[in-house]
Amino acid sequence: MISQFFVLSQRGDHIVFRDYRGEVPKGSAEIFFRKVKFWNEDEAEEAPPVFNIDGVNYVHVKVAGLFFVVTTMVNISPSLLLELLQRIARVTKDYLGVLNEDSLRKNFILVYELLDEVIDFGYPQTTSTEALKSYIFNEPIMVDAGRLPPLGPAAMFMQGTKRMPGTAVTKSVVANEPGGKKREEIFVDIIEKISVTFSSSGYILTSEIDGTIQMKSYLSGNPEIRLALNEDLGIGKNSSSTHDYRSSSGGGSVVLDDCNFHESVQLDSFDIDRTLHLIPPDGEFPVMNYRMTQEFKPPFRVTALIEEAGPSRAEVLLKIRADFPANVTANTITVQMPVPSYTMRASFELEAGAVGQTTDFKEGTRRLEWNLKKIVGGSEHTLRAKLTFSQETHGNLTKEAGPVNMNFTIPMYNASKLQVRYLQIAKKSKTYNPYRWVRYVTQANSYVARL
Amino acid sequence: MSGHDSKYFSTTKKGEIPELKEELNSQYKDKRKDAVKKVIAAMTVGKDVSSLFTDVVNCMQTENLELKKLVYLYLINYAKSQPDLAILAVNTFVKDSQDPNPLIRALAVRTMGCIRVDKITEYLCDPLQRCLKDDDPYVRKTAAICVAKLYDINAELVEDRGFLEALKDLISDNNPMVVANAVAALAEIQDSSARPIFEITSHTLTKLLTALNECTEWGQVFILDSLSRYKATDARDAENIVERITPRLQHANCAVVLSAVKIILLQMELITSTDVVRNLCKKMAPPLVTLLSAEPEIQYVALRNINLIVQKRPTILAHEIKVFFCKYNDPIYVKMEKLEIMIKLASDRNIDQVLLEFKEYATEVDVDFVRKAVRAIGRCAIKLERAAERCISVLLELIKIKVNYVVQEAIIVIKDIFRRYPNTYESIIATLCESLDTLDEPEAKASMIWIIGEYAERIDNADELLESFLDTFPEEPALVQLQLLTATVKLFLKKPTEGPQQMIQAVLNNATVETDNPDLRDRAYIYWRLLSTDPEAAKDVVLAEKPVISDDSNQLDSSLLDELLANISTLSSVYHKPPEAFVSRVKAAPRADDEEFADAGETGYSESPSQGVDGASPSSSTGTSSNVPVKQPAAAAPAVPAPIPDLLGDLMGLDNALVPVDEPTASSGPPLPVVLPPTTGQGLQISAQLVRRDGQIYYDISFENGTQSVLDGFMIQFNKNTFGLAAGGPLQVPPLQPGASSRTLLAMVFSQNVSPGAPNLLLQVAVKNNQQPVWYFSDKGSLHVFFGEDGKMERTSFLEAWKSLPDDNEFSKEYPNSVISSIDATIEHLAASNVFFIAKRRNANMDVLYLSAKIPRGIPFLIELTAAVGAPGAKCAVKTPNREFVPLFFEAMESLIK
Repeated sequence: MISQFFVLSQRGDHIVFRDYRGEVPKGSAEIFFRKVKFWNEDEAEEAPPVFNIDGVNYVHVKVAGLFFVVTTMVNISPSLLLELLQRIARVTKDYLGVLNEDSLRKNFILVYELLDEVIDFGYPQTTSTEALKSYIFNEPIMVDAGRLPPLGPAAMFMQGTKRMPGTAVTKSVVANEPGGKKREEIFVDIIEKISVTFSSSGYILTSEIDGTIQMKSYLSGNPEIRLALNEDLGIGKNSSSTHDYRSSSGGGSVVLDDCNFHESVQLDSFDIDRTLHLIPPDGEFPVMNYRMTQEFKPPFRVTALIEEAGPSRAEVLLKIRADFPANVTANTITVQMPVPSYTMRASFELEAGAVGQTTDFKEGTRRLEWNLKKIVGGSEHTLRAKLTFSQETHGNLTKEAGPVNMNFTIPMYNASKLQVRYLQIAKKSKTYNPYRWVRYVTQANSYVARL
Repeated sequence: MSGHDSKYFSTTKKGEIPELKEELNSQYKDKRKDAVKKVIAAMTVGKDVSSLFTDVVNCMQTENLELKKLVYLYLINYAKSQPDLAILAVNTFVKDSQDPNPLIRALAVRTMGCIRVDKITEYLCDPLQRCLKDDDPYVRKTAAICVAKLYDINAELVEDRGFLEALKDLISDNNPMVVANAVAALAEIQDSSARPIFEITSHTLTKLLTALNECTEWGQVFILDSLSRYKATDARDAENIVERITPRLQHANCAVVLSAVKIILLQMELITSTDVVRNLCKKMAPPLVTLLSAEPEIQYVALRNINLIVQKRPTILAHEIKVFFCKYNDPIYVKMEKLEIMIKLASDRNIDQVLLEFKEYATEVDVDFVRKAVRAIGRCAIKLERAAERCISVLLELIKIKVNYVVQEAIIVIKDIFRRYPNTYESIIATLCESLDTLDEPEAKASMIWIIGEYAERIDNADELLESFLDTFPEEPALVQLQLLTATVKLFLKKPTEGPQQMIQAVLNNATVETDNPDLRDRAYIYWRLLSTDPEAAKDVVLAEKPVISDDSNQLDSSLLDELLANISTLSSVYHKPPEAFVSRVKAAPRADDEEFADAGETGYSESPSQGVDGASPSSSTGTSSNVPVKQPAAAAPAVPAPIPDLLGDLMGLDNALVPVDEPTASSGPPLPVVLPPTTGQGLQISAQLVRRDGQIYYDISFENGTQSVLDGFMIQFNKNTFGLAAGGPLQVPPLQPGASSRTLLAMVFSQNVSPGAPNLLLQVAVKNNQQPVWYFSDKGSLHVFFGEDGKMERTSFLEAWKSLPDDNEFSKEYPNSVISSIDATIEHLAASNVFFIAKRRNANMDVLYLSAKIPRGIPFLIELTAAVGAPGAKCAVKTPNREFVPLFFEAMESLIK
């Protein structure tokens, strides 16, 4: 059971501190902060999420730049504690709309009220925003989300896509909007994080998709919802491939390695028609998590070359090709390439007519960085760079440089081809027609090309 | 509510406390609420607002839940420091506990339980009793936890008032949330009590399994963790439980998944059907892999647990090695854990893929990670004999990049590879020597020096290389000094020429007179004395055969592993330490493990003089496998037993009393090797050898009395050894006149007194007579003495046995200097030593002989001997289930076909 829960800012200030059992000696937050801050300063290493100092176990996660920490004196499940910390962050965000130092400080009384219901004597009680609503009486005070870094995967919808109502994701689940009336709407986000490793010759060494169907409901009265996925969705690597013949899309069926579901989901008919039934609780929650290692077409092909060009010079060529339809646009693309440690200077040469592209040589981390505002499907972009070294090379350039790492977000695109066929909301009346948002997004997790 | 809470933090010009006091006593509700908020704000930033206690408590009697909660929050904080005032609140508490609103009833008990003041506790009992039987589940679940609170304050009270029984009744509650909290409370009470309070019977089991399906994810974890204490009655019971638990693996909450995995692993121990077990392993793999898609913090916990699981059941994830490949953006603590698991899952089948990854990691930026990747390559070489060569070529490639820390790390692991495969890869020494100047880390330096000393005879300029280190001897760290000392002694023993002699003198001088380090000094003195009294003995000690090292990637010993597996999904399984080692509140008696852990972080590098053997690096060096400040117990276990100190203990042991000398038995034969020279034995010389005659092992021993007096009362004792060889009867030596000698055959028997550790043929002997002190000496036999008369195999059984042994168990060795002049003579000669001929065939101009032999404990050797008659060079291939005997076997073969 948990002894204490606290939230610290990046500077180590107490934002929230709650002791449930009074068994941990004083100063635990300071001890924790010092340990994490100076874990291994030389190597700039991050502290592991679980450690023990003088008999006190500290378990922490970092959310929105804040440390969420619990301490315990006994041998309990650390994954329970880590899940709980994430869940506390999510519930708090559901209530406050935005999770950051400012919103926590402004709402500290509400946060303490929440904490008393979430944890009793160190035992987690409930973390469902829905269930908590009946016990929480303080109302949230909204803070301005504009200039603050938003939290959570849904935040990515805020960038560059005007179709999305930007405020939706930072809206409190409980607070009334100006005008006193809440808009009836529901968001279903299919968020996929893809990891691909290309070998030096361009082969795909590993590829993986970690996906989540995230839901955030602002529907009053909690109506039942039916969420239908691809009919021919297969689960388990060894599931039969007979679906392939029936598939109408021609692209073969989607086969997931494994998936799991939120506890509100009824799976009665899932095996028959791949439909999820649920009564969504208020707040943001993952309906389903899935993992796929089946082959898929990577959205970007990355080629990187480094060649000697004289005794202490080298040339780098980076090329990316967008292998997705022209009606889709990727945004905030970053390509990074570590170069040999003795690199002194780098000069860049962008392609002719390049718009919205910047380059940089980060001396501290000795990386080339190439930023592109957006990439339209089907297009190809190249960057040339000339490196100047402070010494002669060992003739092992490819081992001392790379691998190339890429970051991107592609809205309205998902690599797995998993689809929400329809989203049905049980109707309360004829005029009841809430807004439904089904959004897809693909993000790079570890997108790496080796040299 | 209006405005921002943060305004309560702002200070006012007037004295803050008096102003708050005034506001708290305001007649307006809203003002009072605001004031309490200000008080709480002051409290959370650490200001002392305890002087407002009475005023705050006055606000308690309100219908407003928001305000009530605030006052309660204040009370919890300050009641302890104001116990007399806290009593003022009791009446309101008791009243609230009977309020029509269930939220207020629950709030009252919850808060009272948090106020650890005796006077309040007394008043808690009655409300608690009522609330445990409340109609509202929210009140009951709060009351259940409150019992645990009360037990923590006053255990007796809980037992006297029958709260434990009430709690047990709640296990049958119809609300799963109540059940979960009752289980949690009972589990905690059980943990702090020595008496059985919460036993899971088959009846409770059914109830808990039913509640499991309906309660919240947190409740599921409480229930699963309690169920893990249940001991199933038989395989069927276990299967039933597992069947009910398996659906939990699909849960989105990682804690639920891991707790379910724990129960399944525990119950699997009881399940006898291999099909069921295989099926379960298959079912567990995808959810375990899915844990790696969670947040990095959870991945870390999952990886630490998976590390344990694959040690016990490697098959579960044998085909999933790819998911443990490091991602570019993994935090370093995740990468480190993934590397550990990759080494554990590396096999002949996937090693190429794995090496490709390691090579890539070894050129990344993070120094610690790069080092660990280089070490991982070395550990794979040690683990997988067939891949050793490929691993070495990757290491050499990395050395060529000339990144300093990569080179140093590579040298450290190559030293271990040399230890593991002696006389195989020394050709690369030249390449290593090129990097000599760049070494600046103690461990790398020490490793290189060890290599130079160990292979001094093969490195032409070994003396120059070592000399280059000597100038800085006094400044070197102890680790390097110790290695330099030993390496110089080795060099001197191998090349006793002028240069090394001068070096050894300089080193011994430096290491005795000039040093403050007792370890170094002691070792130097031991070498010094050895070298000055008996250089041959020094050779035996310093250049003795080293025990074989093995891969340490499955390093936890099985009892610790089992304990940790029983603690899967707890902190214990993350630290890889038993709970007693870091939790003080458990009732189990603390174990004295701490000493064992004390120097576990060190790599097993230094040679301990007390071991009497050149025990450099008893196990391959280990990097600490995680960033957690956890010391790994396994690394602390000494790999080599320290035999000599033991000997005395055994000698004087009560049940192993010295055997008195009886009637002499004469014996004659070829001269025996001297084991105790007269210089050491104060005039007594002992020569001895193990021999085999007519299916019986004897110790052929001879005594020569070079003293001036009669020696009598000879007794003999053997220390524990690999085969448990011990004297079968008393030593029979007549009283020896000065100048006389006596030789006898002492029949040997196999006892249970077997020494642990890698097998060796070292026989440590103690001999005593009535006139002299006890003499200790060690003797080294040859394995062929142990070849039994029953070692002959039939052709068919030989073939079957050969096929049934995996290829991993096949080893071969070349004897370039052996000449076989006649096949028949060789067969006859080998048969005389109980190596039996089975078949032969010709292959080109080579003769291939198939032979078999057997040593005690029924260990067979299947032998394939290939040679061309008359030409030098023979090749011996052997298959045996006990691979650790292979080096000894090859040695014996060498002497047999010389």
